[in-house]
Amino acid sequence: MTRVMIVDDHPMWREGVARDLTEHGFDVCATASEVVAAVNIAKATRPDVVLMDLQLGSGSGVDATRDITAALPDTRVLVLSASGEQVDVLEAVKNGASGYLVKSASLEELISAIRHTAEGDAVFSAGLAGLVLGEYRRMESEPDRPRLTGRETEVLRLVARGLTAKQIAARLVLSHRTVENHVQNTLRKLQLHNRAELVRYAIERGLDQ
Amino acid sequence: VGAVGQPTCGVDSVSAVTDLVRPLWRALVVFRVLAWGFAVLGVYTRWDELHRRWGAVVLLAAMAVWTVVVSFGYSRTWGRSNTRLAVADLVVTVACMAGTLLAQRLDAIHDGASILTSVWAAGPVLALAIARGRDGGLLGAVAISLTTGALIAFGDWSRLLNNIQLLLVAGLVVGYAATATRRANARLTDAIATEAATAERLRLSRTIHDGVLQVLAQVQHRGGDLAPVAAEQEIALRSLMNGRATSLAGESDLRAGLSVLASPRVEVVVPASPVPLRAHRVSELVAAVREALANFTRHAGPDARAWVVVEDLGGEVLVVVRDDGVGTSAERIEHASRDGRLGVSQSIRGRIADLGGTAEVRTAPGEGVEWELKVSR
Repeated sequence: MTRVMIVDDHPMWREGVARDLTEHGFDVCATASEVVAAVNIAKATRPDVVLMDLQLGSGSGVDATRDITAALPDTRVLVLSASGEQVDVLEAVKNGASGYLVKSASLEELISAIRHTAEGDAVFSAGLAGLVLGEYRRMESEPDRPRLTGRETEVLRLVARGLTAKQIAARLVLSHRTVENHVQNTLRKLQLHNRAELVRYAIERGLDQ
Repeated sequence: VGAVGQPTCGVDSVSAVTDLVRPLWRALVVFRVLAWGFAVLGVYTRWDELHRRWGAVVLLAAMAVWTVVVSFGYSRTWGRSNTRLAVADLVVTVACMAGTLLAQRLDAIHDGASILTSVWAAGPVLALAIARGRDGGLLGAVAISLTTGALIAFGDWSRLLNNIQLLLVAGLVVGYAATATRRANARLTDAIATEAATAERLRLSRTIHDGVLQVLAQVQHRGGDLAPVAAEQEIALRSLMNGRATSLAGESDLRAGLSVLASPRVEVVVPASPVPLRAHRVSELVAAVREALANFTRHAGPDARAWVVVEDLGGEVLVVVRDDGVGTSAERIEHASRDGRLGVSQSIRGRIADLGGTAEVRTAPGEGVEWELKVSR
């Protein structure tokens, strides 16, 4: 049974989603409403999937996402944002989230997204593909930037245009699995690069002091 | 949702604007001191020709005292108009010009000897120009010219005209510059105030809109007849916030123009950083996308969805409008224009061609329609 943790500062939302997920056979093992508690509870309960709101009253879900994915490599974070604020979503994904949904997504979409996330797949909406593609293009002038292969760029552009993995596989004559892998790789490279940047930043600051 | 806090920025940041006229006053002070030094040099080189040497020394001392006085005066009230001091400066300077008679004989001046105040006398012209703009500069130039004319008894016209010309040019140019600077200053102050207000509004709306979006999302989750309306409003509010316009110097963010086109059936996909384009290009691109979407609504079928994708390619911007509807055939798109009706595709192509870009359409029955609009920066 997939173990899910819900991080959100709206009690009504937490309870509603917890009830819905329990009814559909998930084990909601923990809930939290702010960053520090979320990280501590996640470390203690080791959920499979964390549903993460980005606007937590006391702080940002981006920080919680970074700390949870750094401490628990087997735990996946699925961002569930009300605003879909582009910069925040991109930051969350760079800091380890494996997918993103807007809160108004239907229950079916949410359940299928949690299943995918638990299996280790990225939940890649068109919107997220557009953000990731834009981020790679923005970094093009940086010296040791992560690079996309031609195929990865092609796949990402088609995801951004709303094609499903199946449609992309048909159009590019690839297997469904290969398309999933390409999408995963674009995300993984971005996250690795981000982590390296954070480490470098920390070292530079450490040397300065 | 955090509590709505106190406004953090207000009028204080506005008054901190540097006064752009300040450098003009500072330049005037420097000019005055240098011009006095020039006058001293003039007296030194003509020391032997002077009728009364003590007169020249007294005059230079008086000029020195006045230079110090106005330097402090203009410096102390930097940024204010300084009109009174500039008028006093004009009166004292005219008196100093007349004071040249302490050292020189009037007939020597008539015969061509320079007035000892020399270029120092242009000071009040510049001061009035800075304080009062063009009219001030004109008044100063006329007053100093008349004084010069009186001293040389309007005898040597070419010499007089030369002086008048230089004084007028100085007064008018500095006057215009001061007026232009004041206007720029006012605009800068306005812009900073607007920016502060916008930042504040943004902060408030972020706090509020997150709460409203939460409620709308919950209404949708509960289902019922309010759910579709909530979905529509939620998308409208989200795209409004995500597409906040950030325009500068005739450019605007293409994302902002396209975001408002989002609906439950249309998703707008954009990068996280702004895509600035000249405002005219943005409005033409948005108009072209609107036409493509109108066509989608009419022909794609009730269950079809559409995506508007913005890709910033550096030198070019690519906008893709794709739908998963019933599609059509390339011949039918051509047909529409052969019949003499200006088809949607012709209209879209026309707009993009006017921007020097390219518009390509790909479609087949059952395959939806996909527009690629590419425009250079």
